[in-house]
Amino acid sequence: MQVKIDTRPLPIVILSRWWRFPVFALVNYGMYYFYHQPPPDGLSVQGFRALIVFVACVFLWMTQLLPLPVTGLFALIAPSLLGVISLKEAFAFFGADAVFFILGVFILAAALYKSGLSTRMALHLLKSGAKSPKRLVFQVMLTAALLSFIMSEHAVAAMMFPLVVIISKRLSTTPEGSSYSRVLFLAMAWGCVIGGIATMLGGARVPLAVNFLQDRTGQTITFAQWSMGMFPIVVTLFSFCYFLLTRYYPIRILNVMEADTVIDKQLRDCGRPLLEERFLGLLLVCTIIGWIFWGSTTAIMAAISILSVILLFMFRVVKWRQIQENVEWGVILMYGGAIALSQILSSTKAGDWFASTYIVPHLSSPWALIIILSLMTMALTEALSNAAVVAIVVPVGLSIASTVGLDPKVVVYAVASASSMNYVLPMSTPAVAIAYSSGYLKIREVIVPASIMWVVSWATLMLTARFWWPLLGVQIGR
Amino acid sequence: MTVDPNLALLKLQLLFHGIRAGKDLPAPLTNPFGLIHLALPQKVFVSVHLNMNGTESPFTLRRDGGTFLLDIQGSASVPVGWTPPLASYQKRTSSGLLVSDILTVHGDFIAVHPSHQCRFGQSGLSCRYCGSSKELSDHPPFTPRDLVEAIHLVMQEKRCDVVSLSSGHVETPDGGVERLEKWVTEIRKHNNVLISLDLVPPETNDWIDKTYAMGVDALYYDSDFFNPNDESPREFQKHKARQLEALAYAARIFPTGAVLSHLVVGLEPLKDTFESVDLLIDRGVVPVLAYFPPYGGSALRTRWTATPEQVTQVYAHLYERLVRTRINPHWVQQYDVVLTSLEGRFLSSESPRYHLKLKNFYETRVGRAVRFGLASLRRHLRVREVPA
Repeated sequence: MQVKIDTRPLPIVILSRWWRFPVFALVNYGMYYFYHQPPPDGLSVQGFRALIVFVACVFLWMTQLLPLPVTGLFALIAPSLLGVISLKEAFAFFGADAVFFILGVFILAAALYKSGLSTRMALHLLKSGAKSPKRLVFQVMLTAALLSFIMSEHAVAAMMFPLVVIISKRLSTTPEGSSYSRVLFLAMAWGCVIGGIATMLGGARVPLAVNFLQDRTGQTITFAQWSMGMFPIVVTLFSFCYFLLTRYYPIRILNVMEADTVIDKQLRDCGRPLLEERFLGLLLVCTIIGWIFWGSTTAIMAAISILSVILLFMFRVVKWRQIQENVEWGVILMYGGAIALSQILSSTKAGDWFASTYIVPHLSSPWALIIILSLMTMALTEALSNAAVVAIVVPVGLSIASTVGLDPKVVVYAVASASSMNYVLPMSTPAVAIAYSSGYLKIREVIVPASIMWVVSWATLMLTARFWWPLLGVQIGR
Repeated sequence: MTVDPNLALLKLQLLFHGIRAGKDLPAPLTNPFGLIHLALPQKVFVSVHLNMNGTESPFTLRRDGGTFLLDIQGSASVPVGWTPPLASYQKRTSSGLLVSDILTVHGDFIAVHPSHQCRFGQSGLSCRYCGSSKELSDHPPFTPRDLVEAIHLVMQEKRCDVVSLSSGHVETPDGGVERLEKWVTEIRKHNNVLISLDLVPPETNDWIDKTYAMGVDALYYDSDFFNPNDESPREFQKHKARQLEALAYAARIFPTGAVLSHLVVGLEPLKDTFESVDLLIDRGVVPVLAYFPPYGGSALRTRWTATPEQVTQVYAHLYERLVRTRINPHWVQQYDVVLTSLEGRFLSSESPRYHLKLKNFYETRVGRAVRFGLASLRRHLRVREVPA
């Protein structure tokens, strides 16, 4: 970091540094004002106050006036402060199944990263890619996507980034090479995004959405059901993305043998797989099998992941300090708060009231709802954390689904998958941000293919909802 | 017979001639550096060297009962205040160093040369700023911890607002910033004072940003001899161009009036000093006109062309320009070895506007807290960390 002195006129500096305080004051005043207002017809006092907290949290998540996890904590205590539920009840929501599932997944992913197993897997996947420039693009995308099946897409991008940087530097000695490097970074980022949709492990948003579903309806989506539901989307988007990247950006570089040298060297540096890595690999396979065959609820999935974590430490595969430094604890806090908020909206019927009063009268069919939810999610997720979008949209969607005759599972499938489809802006997802940080990408050069990906992703989602999900027993209308 | 002299002129004359000691004066009369601290009427502070050659100074300090009087050529007298030398100069830090070997106090200024001699010291001359009777090379080395303790000891005895650290004018790309960083950090951590640095302009402006960000409140890039039209060697001109550029940039970074530059008055034609003053003020820099005539007996004394009466017009010009341009003159308040820009008001008919009221306010406990608070707040607002 380096220091810069802001030399703009002081009032502007003050405004730019402290604008948050008046906004906070306004939020507080707004909450105070509405707290003293009578609730609208059909809504209980508790429900009205829950809605006040929800609107405040949505505002804070969207503006990111507070870090997302801190807003999560706010969501945890605000309902109690407004007298909606007791603090004891509010804190109990933090113990939701999804929170523990996510915790386990994060620890496993951190272990994969720290042990070097994920890097080794990436290098092996990339190894055969240096036969031609297009093949290398394919291998980078495939590696990113496959690893995102089992790790958070953020972690995959962070892990692959140094590798792609070294390859790009070797290839960027000519203008053709520089242009090609841009394609490689996009392949990495979009590979992560697409791969992250495939399973519940690509990001923590799916467990969060499933937790909302369980709490509201008692239904669930298993690990295998989710992956089956996403299968056509992932295959279609992966194929189209490869086609788009290799057609939209002309690849004029003739050979990429240099990349082969880099990968070989990195693999040599990795040495032979250690016993810990082998054990971790085996444990991961067993865990995934456990999720597929026995993960009928998020509680069981959480138990399986935590059991794996215990085994990890029992056999001293990693040290706690390594895990501590590599787990995004903040996301867990945010999820705890979001789950609590959703539960409160549900128990006070505030969500149902809002949906039936303001949204349902304007919806003509379940399809209209799914179109609105998916488009809204994809638009929001370009600017917001996808987890925050899920926390905002899914509770509202679930409240409306039953009234328009939409299977609530569709809401989870549509919103959770749409929240992953972010390709354009660096703030949309860390994978894209990491790719931008290479310096090879500029928004104006990415915007057209990213917009095409956006449209195709949405169309694929709609087609999958129309033709594939019904085959899995998930109907749009009932 | 008491008279009401022009206080600015009197201060300059005292700086030029020094003072003789009359009878019945308390002992010790001077500080360890041979300076007598006097307060002229209207809170004009001056540190005068004791002129041992009694025939050379028209001024004599004497005591009449409980009153100190400054006799002017034995005819008229001005009542003055005499400040005893700081007792803390004789105190020692926990490592056993004498406070007077670490710092010098000038009014509300504490001057420190952490590791190097100043240019006067380097050229073998005594320096009024660092200590007139003692060469810096004789000073034992001290650590930031010693300095912090020394400042603390001084401030227990006397209120001081500014600690001024000099880099010793080292010609490094950073201008000496890195060398002083640990000192600034320690002072910031332990002492409630403003900090000014006396540096050489760095090669790039990012060092100026860093200087402000690390907690420095005011900055001196001394110009000294600054004739803009002289026919100096190309190297000097190049250096001067960079100096002006750095000063102008620093004036945008630091608070108004907190970028200063010493100009030595008397060693170059006064018209050049006038131009230099304008050149600096046009860039938002406050010139500090240093009238440091070498002591009688020094070889340099014969080269000194300007008498106090002659230089008054430069001080008047400086004061008027500052008042009109609204540049804050308060960074040099009780600087007792120079005539401060605000003291130039005694030489001009221009009203000091609110400056005098503000000066008086800053001298109160509340004013000091406000001044320090605003300096910290400004830094908090303006400094930003950005990725390299």
